[in-house]
Amino acid sequence: MELFMPEAGLVFWMFVVFVVLFAILAKFAWPVITKMVDDRAALIDKGVEYAEAAKSSLEDSEAQARAILAEANRQQMEILQEAAQMKSQIIEEAKKAAAAEAKKLVDAAAISIEQSRKEAELQFRQEVSQFALTIAENIIRKELAGDKAQAEMVEQLLNELEHKN
Amino acid sequence: MKKHSILIISITLIVLAAAASIALFDHSHHDENAKFDAKETIFDHLVDHYSWEVPFSHSHKIALPIIVQDYKGGWHCFMSSKVEHGETYNGFYIDQSEAHHGKVVGTNENGEVYRPLDISITKNVAALFITVIVICLCLFPLVRWYKNNGKKAPRGFTGAIEMLTCMVYDDVIKSILGPEKGRRFAPYLLTAFYFIFISNLMGLMVIFPAGANLTGNLAITMVLAICTFLAVNIFGTKEYWKEVFWPDVPMFLKAPLPIMPFIEIFGVFTKPIALMVRLFANMMGGHMIVLVLLSLIFIFKEMGGVAVAGGTTVLSIGFSLFMYIIDTLVSYIQAYVFTMLSTIFISLAQVEHHHHE
Repeated sequence: MELFMPEAGLVFWMFVVFVVLFAILAKFAWPVITKMVDDRAALIDKGVEYAEAAKSSLEDSEAQARAILAEANRQQMEILQEAAQMKSQIIEEAKKAAAAEAKKLVDAAAISIEQSRKEAELQFRQEVSQFALTIAENIIRKELAGDKAQAEMVEQLLNELEHKN
Repeated sequence: MKKHSILIISITLIVLAAAASIALFDHSHHDENAKFDAKETIFDHLVDHYSWEVPFSHSHKIALPIIVQDYKGGWHCFMSSKVEHGETYNGFYIDQSEAHHGKVVGTNENGEVYRPLDISITKNVAALFITVIVICLCLFPLVRWYKNNGKKAPRGFTGAIEMLTCMVYDDVIKSILGPEKGRRFAPYLLTAFYFIFISNLMGLMVIFPAGANLTGNLAITMVLAICTFLAVNIFGTKEYWKEVFWPDVPMFLKAPLPIMPFIEIFGVFTKPIALMVRLFANMMGGHMIVLVLLSLIFIFKEMGGVAVAGGTTVLSIGFSLFMYIIDTLVSYIQAYVFTMLSTIFISLAQVEHHHHE
């Protein structure tokens, strides 16, 4: 049967042609095609990975932003509270300082009043004693001869008066 | 639009089938008195020839060069038209007897007929060249596309070729051999796939630039199987050869009588032979069924006249159309199966020391 007998000539040509075809394709076609197909698969894989990473990082940063916002709110509240506290403290302190100042002023006034009172008293006493002396002089001039003994007597009388007070 | 294209395809197929039957009719009736010999007609369409029919005619043929070496060692090269109608040229003629039916033979000084070394460009060899050109026309646009457009996906026919390549490369080669070895063996496996697929399809087209029964020829499938055999055994690992000659089986199966090694060595050769026969038988069978169905028309015509032949024509063409469509599917399946089995055989020869770990 011719059909089942491989013809030597055809085997020869088939071998030559197939080897040439293989050489041409293996040199010029398959490296380009398989490399590109592999590269594209790698690129797609990387793209998917990248998209997933981007998605998760987006979620992360959203959470982060929310946390930052909450923190800011909290800080704001704290600051406000602090400010309120400080305000009342300052008022308190101012009040205290004012009170102290007032007290100081009052004290100073009291001292100066006391001083002027004493001065006035002293002056008054001198004046009174002067008046008294003058009066007594005038009286005693007529009655007493010496001044000295009478002035001593008046002084003594005045001291008694003061001690009574 | 879809309906439209199906209609066009059906009409094309009917025309082609009709053309085939006309060719058959023409062939069987170049001598009006000769009886239609179905067997001869069918085998005549399946075997190789020294010339190629001009479409729809058996009387006009495209001459192809015949290259033969005579018994003295001298080379002779002449066109097939010189010996087409039984003439003798330089002592060579086409034998019509049983011994070398349809082949070029010569006579030596003693008048004995001998078969010279024959590397003629026959119809099948010419078809081989055309197949190679078609394969290059399919693949190089894709290569050019990649060079011009980078990783962008191609469109249209180039895209279809890329899809086909990816289907074989990703789903068969890489998934069986793994990416590393897949890349190493891909050139051979993809070349084999495209060669088989394109020659299968071209074998189905009945007229000139195509129509040679290439993959339905044992010589072609034998060379392909030998290539797979070489790829399997040249690149086989040490572990593979150890498993062939000293497999991991109980001692009595290999020590006094090498039963298992014998079976394994037998297997090394039966695998490529199975590949060879499977492809050959499938493609030749497909062609033969179509031819038998069309021959039925002429067989019935001789038995019952024109009316019976008319009825048979409708039936036969219907059936052979169906067979053509099946054969188109088979063309792809056989190319795929050959590639897949070659890949599996290669991967079986790439075993490493994994079961000892």
